[in-house]
Amino acid sequence: MSDVVERTLTALPSLLSSDPSPGRPSSTSKLGTLIRGITELTSKHDEEKLIQRELVSIKEQVSSPNTTMRQMKELMVRAVYCEMLGYEASFSYIHAIKLAQQGTALDKRVGYLAVSLFLNESHELLLLLVNTVLKDLQSTNLIEVCMALTVVGQVFPKDMIPAILPMVEEKLNHPKEIIRRKAVLALYKFYLIAPNQVQHIHSKFRKALCDKDPGVMSASLHIYLEMVTEKPEGYKDLVVSFVTILKQVVGGKLPIDFNYHSVPAPWLQIQLLRILSLLGKNDRSTSEMMYEVLDESLRRAEMNHNITYAILFECVKTIYTIHPKAELLEKAAKCIGNFVLSPKINLKYLGLKALTYVVQQDANLALQHQMTIIECLDHSDLIIKRETLELLFRITNGQNVKVIVEKLLEFLRHSKDDYVTIDLGGKVTELAEKYPSEMI
Amino acid sequence: MMQFLLLFSRQGRLRLQKWFTPTPEREKKKIIRDMTAMVLARKPKTCNFLHWMDLKVVYKRYASLFFCLAIDDQENELLALEILHRYVELLDKYFGNVCELDIIFNFEKAYFILDEFLIGGEVQETSKQTVARCIEASDMLQETMEEYMSKPAF
Repeated sequence: MSDVVERTLTALPSLLSSDPSPGRPSSTSKLGTLIRGITELTSKHDEEKLIQRELVSIKEQVSSPNTTMRQMKELMVRAVYCEMLGYEASFSYIHAIKLAQQGTALDKRVGYLAVSLFLNESHELLLLLVNTVLKDLQSTNLIEVCMALTVVGQVFPKDMIPAILPMVEEKLNHPKEIIRRKAVLALYKFYLIAPNQVQHIHSKFRKALCDKDPGVMSASLHIYLEMVTEKPEGYKDLVVSFVTILKQVVGGKLPIDFNYHSVPAPWLQIQLLRILSLLGKNDRSTSEMMYEVLDESLRRAEMNHNITYAILFECVKTIYTIHPKAELLEKAAKCIGNFVLSPKINLKYLGLKALTYVVQQDANLALQHQMTIIECLDHSDLIIKRETLELLFRITNGQNVKVIVEKLLEFLRHSKDDYVTIDLGGKVTELAEKYPSEMI
Repeated sequence: MMQFLLLFSRQGRLRLQKWFTPTPEREKKKIIRDMTAMVLARKPKTCNFLHWMDLKVVYKRYASLFFCLAIDDQENELLALEILHRYVELLDKYFGNVCELDIIFNFEKAYFILDEFLIGGEVQETSKQTVARCIEASDMLQETMEEYMSKPAF
């Protein structure tokens, strides 16, 4: 076994490089030729002709009984490419499923990839995949199990969920963390498309939440966010767990591998913040459990990196959603101020967005920054302008409505986007109804 | 939740497309056309965010490729920007100093990496090492199989 590994390791660099060595035809050489062919053409008409020829050739080869799985894999890659360019290659769908079924290793992987790119949940061919997935879930080869779980998490027919559910559930207890994690994500997908099918395994989600591996725990948070969004009262008992986890993450207790640019597990932090904000809304006692960790998060996110700003934004949102606490609100307001005044345009955008969110509770904050807001009205970037108009729409009152409506109309006049026109037009009408006397 | 991810060149050629929700073909074509037109028309020094219908679109240019991610209203735009960045980091780690050509000629590998990182519109794995290790493991499996299959049969 060891000399196979050795040979593989020495062969690895050349196999992984994108230059096909002259003696050995690379498995992507036909794709390479196709791509180079397309790049050389100048007209769309020529491209169409080339692709149609290519598709005819692919169609012939996939239907031939002599095609090996290896060759089929290569054909599928080309078919995916053609579909990406916008040409239809539906004859290849069934062969993609066959490839996933009969191929091994990379052939199977490309088969699954092609299926996930070609088909969507309602496609009738997808039913043919179920047996393959069932078989692969029981495979002793862990990589095949992973492939099956990955495809289940992306595209799976709703009606066949009961057939596969027990096997996926079983994987929740697997010794390998990657399989537990993928199983949780597959269950998340099931929860999204058929929530009543997975209600009964709520206790298993709890187990995933306490999993020793942060990846599995993080995956379970997706499901919890959905469930908490629907019914916050049902999960108040978990607040302590969420707060504890967040404390540990912010305090840097996770393995260093989960750091992103020196910030500990930012996506995890943000998921937790969102869950906590939903649980603490309108609930004083629950909110009180969170104040400390929110303060800590605000403090720790001091660096100058986009990701810390993203965390700060979520913190601010959470602080304003849950039961208010004066010191935290003050710190959050300062944060928003820093965003709005920042020369970095992305942060300005976020600052405006945050102001729009908090303006109902704290109109003074908008007043504090009114100079900057007025500057943003005339900003060269239309997106900033639009955000500013959103904000102004929310702080309209009897005095400023005329000016604001004028600005809205001006933007409308130059807008070419239908959706924007409808949206802003609706806002103008709303204001006209609310302040009829001022509009004259 | 993420709705779709598109990668395209400065000339508007699509290099990768990932749809996290079922979308009919005609709509996909329209979206691709609209996105390409909108993003390529953006001037420098503007923010990395766009509005399109009821979605927010976050985009960033890396060398000659535009990465474009659509998110729904509830999502945090800056976070989405970092998702794109993380994906580029993963590609870079795998291909070693990745360039557009790597992604063009090995787009199925780019998809494999994407599938280990994002699933069903959510971030799956936040640890860079784990994603890299998983892809390497699958690649190793394939190479071992290739070795095995190219061995003479006596």
